[in-house]
Amino acid sequence: MPETDDPHELGEAEFRNTVHSFEFWFEAVQGYLHGRPYGSPGLRESELTERQRQGLITTLCNYCVGETAALDASSGMIGFAPDRGAKIFLATQVVDEGRHLEVLLHRMKQLGVADPDAEIEQRANRSLLKFKERLLEFVDARDWEASVFAQNVILECLEYTVFRHHAGTADPVTAEMLRGIVSDERRHMGFGENDLGRRLLMAPHTHDRLNQIKRELDSLVINTFAETLGELGVERDDRPDLAGDYLAAVARLGFRS
Amino acid sequence: MQLIAGERCALAASSGLVNAAPDQASKTFLATQTLDEGRHVEIFTQRLYDLGVKPNDLETTIKTYINPHLGKFAEVLLEKIDKKDFVAGVVGQNIVLEGMAFSVFEMLHAGAEASNPKFAHTLSGTIADERRHVGFGENRIGELIRRYPEKKPEVQRMQREMTKHMLATFHEAFARNGSPAEARTGAPQKDRAGPTYQGLNLAEASNEEMEGALSATVLKEFKTRLGRIGLEYQSPV
Amino acid sequence: MTDPLELPASARRPRQTFELEETGFNEVPKRFRRFYRRWRGAGDKLGPNEALCPVCKVVIRSTKELRAGDRVYCMPCMSRLELVEEEGMLIAKVIY
Repeated sequence: MPETDDPHELGEAEFRNTVHSFEFWFEAVQGYLHGRPYGSPGLRESELTERQRQGLITTLCNYCVGETAALDASSGMIGFAPDRGAKIFLATQVVDEGRHLEVLLHRMKQLGVADPDAEIEQRANRSLLKFKERLLEFVDARDWEASVFAQNVILECLEYTVFRHHAGTADPVTAEMLRGIVSDERRHMGFGENDLGRRLLMAPHTHDRLNQIKRELDSLVINTFAETLGELGVERDDRPDLAGDYLAAVARLGFRS
Repeated sequence: MQLIAGERCALAASSGLVNAAPDQASKTFLATQTLDEGRHVEIFTQRLYDLGVKPNDLETTIKTYINPHLGKFAEVLLEKIDKKDFVAGVVGQNIVLEGMAFSVFEMLHAGAEASNPKFAHTLSGTIADERRHVGFGENRIGELIRRYPEKKPEVQRMQREMTKHMLATFHEAFARNGSPAEARTGAPQKDRAGPTYQGLNLAEASNEEMEGALSATVLKEFKTRLGRIGLEYQSPV
Repeated sequence: MTDPLELPASARRPRQTFELEETGFNEVPKRFRRFYRRWRGAGDKLGPNEALCPVCKVVIRSTKELRAGDRVYCMPCMSRLELVEEEGMLIAKVIY
């Protein structure tokens, strides 16, 4: 860790080494995870109607699909990450994703789901499953740019937007758990956008290929987004603006929608 | 250098296994192991920097000094990981690789405890992590081996291959470079006994004696652990 | 050589400095926490020493007044940013 307490005084390399280190990750997550087993500081359950409970279970099933995709993808990406800093960052992401999956499964058990795997199988959103399949194909092909784009930009942005919105309307236990996840997503999203941004500057021809991938995945992302918010009972007019995060991120990287 | 190469292999293997894990609990554990291995890569790399290697020279330095047998050892394991063979992967990673690392770290720790407490402290943290990894390997795979006994011959073949490369790694490390520098740093002081490992005085032992002590310890551990999970140790000799 | 009279008024006067207090932000190591705070949405007015990270929507804080051309870091999402003036507003842009 650097000598100075003022982050804005750091040099670029020093900043990157600091934020990609375990020490940073460890002290960062301690801030919002310490004393919160399974992401919740012992909050009391609020009463949910059966319809609300079923809607929440379906949503959590889909979150589990997303988090399993992220866990499988981020772990697979370590094997072909281009440098040591990226490998180490991804190792922290792997443990974040593993923890997300754990807290989501725990929440499902709290809601009375006896066999989460069977529920996920039954309730998972088809578009999200298709997205997961494509993402893992990129990983299996050891395609770094496509994997970072699909996972750390697209999937993380989608989760970030949905979780943040859901945390604002959910019951207190679910809301607290989601806030903990969102805090992790900031790092994952930022890593993806910054890594890809640097790469696109150095190899602009990558842009066209990623644009094609984006076009292919856009519909899956938008369908997943719409279905998830539908399950949560959010009216069309009240839905958060996906453009605010996902489209803005891809626009910063130079992709048009 | 060899520690970094070994930990990099462990990082690649444990992260690759997450995807192949058949259940959520294994995925979660392997996610924590991935983090541990990444941290080990980081701290051993930092140690290299502390010893004067420049960050820009890291990769070429590792390429120059990596023990070729250790490279082959990693290849055998990573081939199983690439095929998403969970049972073979966990035996290779959490029993063979971690078992080897555990004993090597213990030897280095014994050598550094008095003379280089900072490095010894680093090693003791690493050893604590390896304990969990080895424990997971035994507990999870014991059950899977019972369920899929047909996997035994292939897994045992891999163990024999990896053991062969491991012994060659030890031999070359002790013969070519002298004993690992860190294990040698604990020269006895006048009023204190020298560091010992498995009853061997590290400050006075010959390279052959040290190689023999390390190999015997690791192989004995392999036999015991493999036996507990229902596999028979295969000697490469 | 720069003619001080040619500089915008904000650049001619000395920068204000700020004492940073803890804000309850807990997503970075303790020693860096006072340099960030949660954004409270569209109505949240930023101070002269603050900028909004476009990547993760956290407010970045500095011990001095921020001006166009300044470089700041968003630790929660690990982004490097530069402040630019657009339509009279100070905006943080990511530098990859």
